[in-house]
Amino acid sequence: MAIKILSVDDSRTIRLIVGRAFKSYDVTVIEAGNGEEGLAVAAREKPELIILDVTMPVMDGVTMLTRLKADPELKGIPVIMLTAESGRENVLQIARLGVRDYLVKPFKEEQIIEKASRCVTLEKRAVTAA
Amino acid sequence: MQPAPDFRQYAELARRYGLAAVPESVSRLTQLVARQDSSVDEIVRVIEKDPALSARLLRVANPRAADESEYTVGTVDAALMRNGIGCALLLAMGTPLSLALVKTFQTMLSLKLECVDLWQIERISGPHMCGAIGFAGKVTGHVYLRMSQPSARAIAAGILGLKPEDLSDNDEIRDAAGELLNIMTGNFKSNLCDAGLDCKLEPPRVGMTDDYTTPVEPGGGLERLAFRADKLEILIEVTANPWTD
Repeated sequence: MAIKILSVDDSRTIRLIVGRAFKSYDVTVIEAGNGEEGLAVAAREKPELIILDVTMPVMDGVTMLTRLKADPELKGIPVIMLTAESGRENVLQIARLGVRDYLVKPFKEEQIIEKASRCVTLEKRAVTAA
Repeated sequence: MQPAPDFRQYAELARRYGLAAVPESVSRLTQLVARQDSSVDEIVRVIEKDPALSARLLRVANPRAADESEYTVGTVDAALMRNGIGCALLLAMGTPLSLALVKTFQTMLSLKLECVDLWQIERISGPHMCGAIGFAGKVTGHVYLRMSQPSARAIAAGILGLKPEDLSDNDEIRDAAGELLNIMTGNFKSNLCDAGLDCKLEPPRVGMTDDYTTPVEPGGGLERLAFRADKLEILIEVTANPWTD
């Protein structure tokens, strides 16, 4: 069965790139445009991995991560932060909240696959004969 | 002397996560500018050691000169004396923006973007894509990203892995330009915050405009950086309000 990865980013461009990165893997990428939506989708879909932006309207990634880690049902989901901000305070705060990995934008699709595969087992999608 | 615990912890996390650091000269310059007791001599020494920083400072200090032969301010020392510490701050801000933009083109578009002199790119006139992000805190100002509509379309298509003609609407182009701006300013903010110049970013505003004036507060500074890759041309502008600390 395909594993579910939740991409939470206010940029449609980034969500598209994340979706494209996993296209050849047996993965279903689900999306949310901010932290509030992200929490709701995470609670409903129980993804195996969350790829989370930091700066977003409505609810930012740090708040979403804090609430996720406080929820007994969701706290075990590994989270990879995907952000352009790699300042010391930001990284330390996010690491203390229990993030699994950190990827700084701009990024190559291979990097996200490499980091995701440290959290979940990615299998290539079976090629169906025409 | 041992580094403070959070510096050690950050260095360990940066290694584990594979985070890239800004060049030492830029990080050192930002720290010096952020400190209130730094001498101009210390700042001069850091800038003089880095030919790229020196060249950019002289360009900022000679805004009307078409090329080096027209410079009236010829040394780093004189440039800082004439323009003040705000000038060095602009340099410290422009470098992370510039590095992030070049890296974005390299990683997401497989294009080698080059920083060129302003006169080497077509003057932007008429309707063009303009993105702006304000930053406020210990330093305050704006970052602008300008590009022609064909350049904006080609860049958005490249980032999204599409052909320019396959882009269905302007929202996709605007969103890609906004993300480009986010990536640049996120990197730039990290450098400022790490030096103690905490600031917050405003949400980006991106749209078509035919207004190419860049507001600069009296006493504030402006640096323009031009980039080119094949037929794509980009203009970045950084403004900083007067330095009051």
